[in-house]
Amino acid sequence: MSAMRIDAKVVMLGKESVGKTSLVERYVHHRFLVGPYQNTIGAAFVAKSISVGDKVITLGIWDTAGSERYEAMSRIYYRGARAAIVCYDLTDNSSFQRARFWVKELQTFEEHCKIYLCGTKNDLVEGDRSARQVDYHDVQDFVEEIGAQHFETSSKTGNNVDALFTKVAEDFSNSAFELLSAEEKGVNLDQKKNSYLYSCCHH
Amino acid sequence: MSQRSERRGIHVDQSELLCKKGCGYYGNAAWQGLCSKCWREEYQRARQKQIQEDWELAEKLQREEDAAYASSHGSQPQPSLTPFSKFEEKKTNEKTRKVTTVKKFFSPSSRSTTKKEKERNEERERERERERGEKVQGRRESHGEMLLRDLKGIFTHSWEIGSPTEESHEAKSHSPSFVRQSSVETDQVAREFVDFLKSLKPGREIHKQSRAFVESMGNKKDLGADELSECVQDFYQHMSDRLLTHFKGSSEKVERVMDQVEKYIMTRLYKSVFCPETTDDEKKDLTTQHRIRALHWVTIQMLCVPVDEEIPEAADSVVKAITDVIEMDSKRVPRDKLACITSCSKHIFNAIKVTKKEPASADDFLPTLIYIVLKANPPRLQSNIQYITRFCNPSRLMSGEDGYYFTNLCCAVAFIEKLDAHSLNLSVEDFERHMCGGGDGGGSGDVSPRRRSESSSPWPLELLSALQERQQQVLEEARDLQDELQLWQEGVAREVQNILDKYPLEIKRHAAHTIDSENEENDRLPPPLQPQVFAG
Repeated sequence: MSAMRIDAKVVMLGKESVGKTSLVERYVHHRFLVGPYQNTIGAAFVAKSISVGDKVITLGIWDTAGSERYEAMSRIYYRGARAAIVCYDLTDNSSFQRARFWVKELQTFEEHCKIYLCGTKNDLVEGDRSARQVDYHDVQDFVEEIGAQHFETSSKTGNNVDALFTKVAEDFSNSAFELLSAEEKGVNLDQKKNSYLYSCCHH
Repeated sequence: MSQRSERRGIHVDQSELLCKKGCGYYGNAAWQGLCSKCWREEYQRARQKQIQEDWELAEKLQREEDAAYASSHGSQPQPSLTPFSKFEEKKTNEKTRKVTTVKKFFSPSSRSTTKKEKERNEERERERERERGEKVQGRRESHGEMLLRDLKGIFTHSWEIGSPTEESHEAKSHSPSFVRQSSVETDQVAREFVDFLKSLKPGREIHKQSRAFVESMGNKKDLGADELSECVQDFYQHMSDRLLTHFKGSSEKVERVMDQVEKYIMTRLYKSVFCPETTDDEKKDLTTQHRIRALHWVTIQMLCVPVDEEIPEAADSVVKAITDVIEMDSKRVPRDKLACITSCSKHIFNAIKVTKKEPASADDFLPTLIYIVLKANPPRLQSNIQYITRFCNPSRLMSGEDGYYFTNLCCAVAFIEKLDAHSLNLSVEDFERHMCGGGDGGGSGDVSPRRRSESSSPWPLELLSALQERQQQVLEEARDLQDELQLWQEGVAREVQNILDKYPLEIKRHAAHTIDSENEENDRLPPPLQPQVFAG
């Protein structure tokens, strides 16, 4: 498992209990957690290969702790990430406010990271329209403004989940070449000095 | 001076050739004008004196060390959470450093040999001495004794170089041949490396380059840690580029080769680039260590760790995780260190899985890792993190699974550094009280809370107040018991006094009598028997 070569780092961000882990579980194992099961020991890190055209791309998906008490550390997580899936709960407006916070952070500190806003628990909203607390069009406007992508998914039904990750992989595949050459030119030295990780993204 | 040599050129007086001590033999300039016999005497005396001084110095160092150790341990209330506290001291490291400085100071050979050689040399010496020591004294010996022996070894060694003729047994045993030799571990790694490369076409080239690189690094001692890191990273980069383009290796194969290259290089460079003196890594290590110690009161509940240690399997996994994260310090290769972190993380996942009966998410994992780090207080944590960051192959660190766990560890450390009342859902007062309760003044970090917690979870507080009450009770009872004891003691004393008063002890004085004087009926006794002689 650890010997697997990872092409792109994808980081999951979002408030506690918006369903980051479920989203990953659904995508990787095609299942939704309803009862205890024993097959995997951890869902915090998963590697998933996906074919895009004639290439195979392996995404390393990093789950992050969403609790506010770890907010200060989130920067350590998304360093060097090629994509960030920022999740919010469609039935919880505060989770969207937190999502805005991460988007801002990402834009400030990780300019090469593509942002995917993901509204989760779509199935709850579809069953009961009044449960929706985050308006689709508001998010759409926000997304266009920041140049990100927008998805509404349901980990329970699997709706839109594959589409989201496929899009991530495609975008990475398309941008991989130009990004690589762009980064070769300028290695940011300042960034490295005050960071834990050697921020070097050669592959 | 010139006059002297001029004179010498013309005429050399007989007296100048003779031994300065006037023993009649010829002297030699190399022996400072003494004959071989007198020189040996002089030299022995000076050497003895020097050794004596060095021993004294070493002993002093050892005493200081012991005192520091004792005070740091004595004043430290042993955190109940750390069963591995014996690992947390950086003693070994500090000691070797001390030895190195002393060596630098005394050894005249330090300039002639490269530092790399010297270091290998030292290591070798230490090993030899240790072996010898084990034979003679058994296995238990203090660092101080080793230090003493080390010093002795070095001084005889340097004397050998300093004096051209003198040969002592000890000096001879430190023959220069072992300067070239490196420690057993390095040798073995080198052998493995060569074996591994044999199967590869460009093996010879890889080996040559790696060796050249290690040697070139030996000359770059004065560079800062960041520059050293850059050198190594550049080397990795060039090497893997070369392997990919020139030798047309597949990326998996290149990765495997690079792992071996990393192992070889970093095993050799470890001593000089781990926690280098140019950085404040060591200071940070100590700060973190103290910080973790000061936080020994943090419980599983405060961190919301989803692990139930009542379950034997979970408790077992916790112990294994702690062992792994501590073991990280003993590895030399960054990749091996990472493997320790990964293994630790797997055990954590297992502990969570056993408790929660579902796979752990990052929301479960990070708090548990923080808890494990707090419990383990891994030695030289910051140094290790910095070392991995600087010298690990970046592709591994940035996106792979190992990288993920490593990032989490970094987060855990960052969290511990910044930890305050809010992050534990405690009130500011409680937090302060705990930090003061720790009592060892270790809470040097910023403990100023950002915000008061609005939603402090109720039950740790309840538990704490209950505990406080009980402690109060215990204290009161103890006081009562003390009072009782006092009363009892006084009562007994009074009684004894009463009895003494009632029956005063009268010692009747008697005049000195002869033994029989009291026996008034002596006269009536029959006369003593007389021996009678029977004839026949």
